[in-house]
Amino acid sequence: MNPLLAGVMLATIWCAGALVVLYMRTKAFGVRQLHSRPAGDARAGVRYAFTQGMAPQAKESVRMNPLSYLAGMLYHTGIFAGLALLGLKLSGLGTPRVLGIVALLGATGGIALLGKRMFKAHLRGISCPDDFVSNLLATGFAALAGITCFLPSFASLWLIETIALLIYAPLGKIRHCLFFFPTRYHFGAFFGRRGVLPPTA
Amino acid sequence: MSVLDFNGTQVQLNEEGFLVEPSIWTEELAAFLALKEEGLEQLTEDHWSVIRFIRGHFLENDSAPMVRAMCKTTGVPLKRIYELFPSGPAKGACKLAGLPKPDGCV
Amino acid sequence: MSDVDELETRLEALTEADFQRGLEVFRSKLKEAEAAFLNACVHCGLCAESCHYYRMDPVLENIPAAKLETIAAVFKRHFTTMGKVAPGLVGARSMDKDMARAWVDAVFGRCSLCGRCSLNCTVGILLPRLFRAARAALGAMGLTPPDLQATVDTALKHGNNMAITREDWVETVQWIEEELQMETGDPEARLPLDKHGAKILFTVNPREPKFFPLSLQASAKVFWAAKEDWTLTADHGWDLTNYGLFNCKDEEAGLITQNLVDAMARLGCETLVIGECGHGFASARWEGEEWLKQGFPFKVMSILELMDEYLRDGRIKVDPAKHPKKVTLHDPCNLVRHGGICEAQRRVLRASAADFVEMTPNREHNFCCGGGGGQLAMGRYKARRLNSGGMKAQQIRDTAAEVVVTPCHNCVDQLGELNKEYKLKVQIKTVAEIVADALVP
Repeated sequence: MNPLLAGVMLATIWCAGALVVLYMRTKAFGVRQLHSRPAGDARAGVRYAFTQGMAPQAKESVRMNPLSYLAGMLYHTGIFAGLALLGLKLSGLGTPRVLGIVALLGATGGIALLGKRMFKAHLRGISCPDDFVSNLLATGFAALAGITCFLPSFASLWLIETIALLIYAPLGKIRHCLFFFPTRYHFGAFFGRRGVLPPTA
Repeated sequence: MSVLDFNGTQVQLNEEGFLVEPSIWTEELAAFLALKEEGLEQLTEDHWSVIRFIRGHFLENDSAPMVRAMCKTTGVPLKRIYELFPSGPAKGACKLAGLPKPDGCV
Repeated sequence: MSDVDELETRLEALTEADFQRGLEVFRSKLKEAEAAFLNACVHCGLCAESCHYYRMDPVLENIPAAKLETIAAVFKRHFTTMGKVAPGLVGARSMDKDMARAWVDAVFGRCSLCGRCSLNCTVGILLPRLFRAARAALGAMGLTPPDLQATVDTALKHGNNMAITREDWVETVQWIEEELQMETGDPEARLPLDKHGAKILFTVNPREPKFFPLSLQASAKVFWAAKEDWTLTADHGWDLTNYGLFNCKDEEAGLITQNLVDAMARLGCETLVIGECGHGFASARWEGEEWLKQGFPFKVMSILELMDEYLRDGRIKVDPAKHPKKVTLHDPCNLVRHGGICEAQRRVLRASAADFVEMTPNREHNFCCGGGGGQLAMGRYKARRLNSGGMKAQQIRDTAAEVVVTPCHNCVDQLGELNKEYKLKVQIKTVAEIVADALVP
């Protein structure tokens, strides 16, 4: 087996294992037992949180920052395209160029957000080095995934960068790839239970 | 904290415009605060009877009186109190009477 | 000594044991939800404009994510591996005097716990939950703003947060009863006190009997018109407020809640009805049972729900022509975004006022008036409170309404100050006041 592919496998195991450990640690804080009577349906709130609640029109913050939202969507789509390419590569199924284009577009989204973080004082003010490291690793991953579709000689570099990304992911803020889900769940359950979400009007 | 210059005397007000030292209160200071803090140019006899009652109650009980007692003792009707003191009995009348800010949602 | 000097003196006196105690309390307030939240912020910064503090004063410290990061930094340093191994990389900071000062500034000085940022968070973090945990930790370190704590202490000592004596309360109730009898021309119109077995125990905000009894009279008039079987109580349990929601000391909040529970048991009432008060409603309806760690054997309702039912069932009739002026509605955060009471007040207002217009945004997206989270009790931050209320002042202006209605005495107070500060020239009323004036036989 190609040692780089083996490295990716090992890094994936590390990443998944470390995320599981992080998740168990938050679970260890325990569940909050609630005594008040629900006014609404927590499950309906959770369903809303993962569906319409994520739509751009549900959030003023998105409506006011359409470019950031667009960059963010592009970025995440690009990363998922990169992950799809990685899966295909590991399965020996080749790297379709259409996915490569999506990944490259994603990388431009990542670069745009990195630029915003560097040059907007307020965003720089709420950032720590991890924010930059995480962005560079994920942007690099999407970019190299895309480049490899067109220039196969970049495959090794891409895989090395993938290993770095997977090793780092649970250590920094990329862990939100996991914690997004429980956060969104608790958000929906809270507002659902209180009868606030889904909205009435 | 802010400081008002009252005829050459430095009067300290807390963040909410209440006297830091309630003991320095005088009627002249009340009239001055009425203008500076409440925008009241002229205090009428009704104003004074409410202010004097609140002051007396404060000196005796170390607290602001109920609006019930203000009306009952001074004979000023309830709705008139709100007209006399646009900021209300607490942030208007009690402030002019040199009381500290009452606790609670006021 | 000013509050600011006082804070510095307290910070100077903090010992390592104080920091440890604060951290322990902080940790004890976190459950899996909060632990997930603390791992979820990606510092995207899109929350900034959701905050009325930031809108009116766009400085870094007012960004919700910046406030959260102040809290999360300490969490990372003390409770996560990466925060211990590589604090510089992940922005972890030890709890010390400077961080304690930053916490006080962030969670008491720049936040009304309104939760508007939660709805606008990319991920969905419930930021107020974490700010509450931080307030509790600061309380354990003796850093609760003294005037906020005094309000809680007064409630614990006197059974109401304005130290009103039983005699003064009862006398005011009797006086308002006479006033109601004059207003209605009905010598049988009552404000019943300690009526055993009444269906409803009605609770009020102490500022009503103390300074603003017309809103109590208005609520009583609605009950009178609906021929409701209701009562007030002369003893502890008539005050619906609970500033324990704001100092975030759950034990104290629980003791205050217990007054309501005891009054319900003493009088054998079926339903506890909370007068127009946002935090009072959230405390009784949502938090009280959590503080006491057990369910209530009775139902808790807002008077808004009750008035809505009266209209639906034809128990009261109103004529909107009695309110020809343009009316708008301010949504208290604790009643709407955090309380789930959203449409009742709208149905009631549409029925009782001819020209009702919504603010934009409204309902769960509404802006805080700036007076929430105990801000009205913290003199230290008055300038920020009034400044942050500029957002609300603009919303009100945009409606061109002459009357602003809000079902919360805390909001009424802040709106009154905004009225003066921003020269809005509006009248500020509670919903019951609008309904009472619109009643027809």
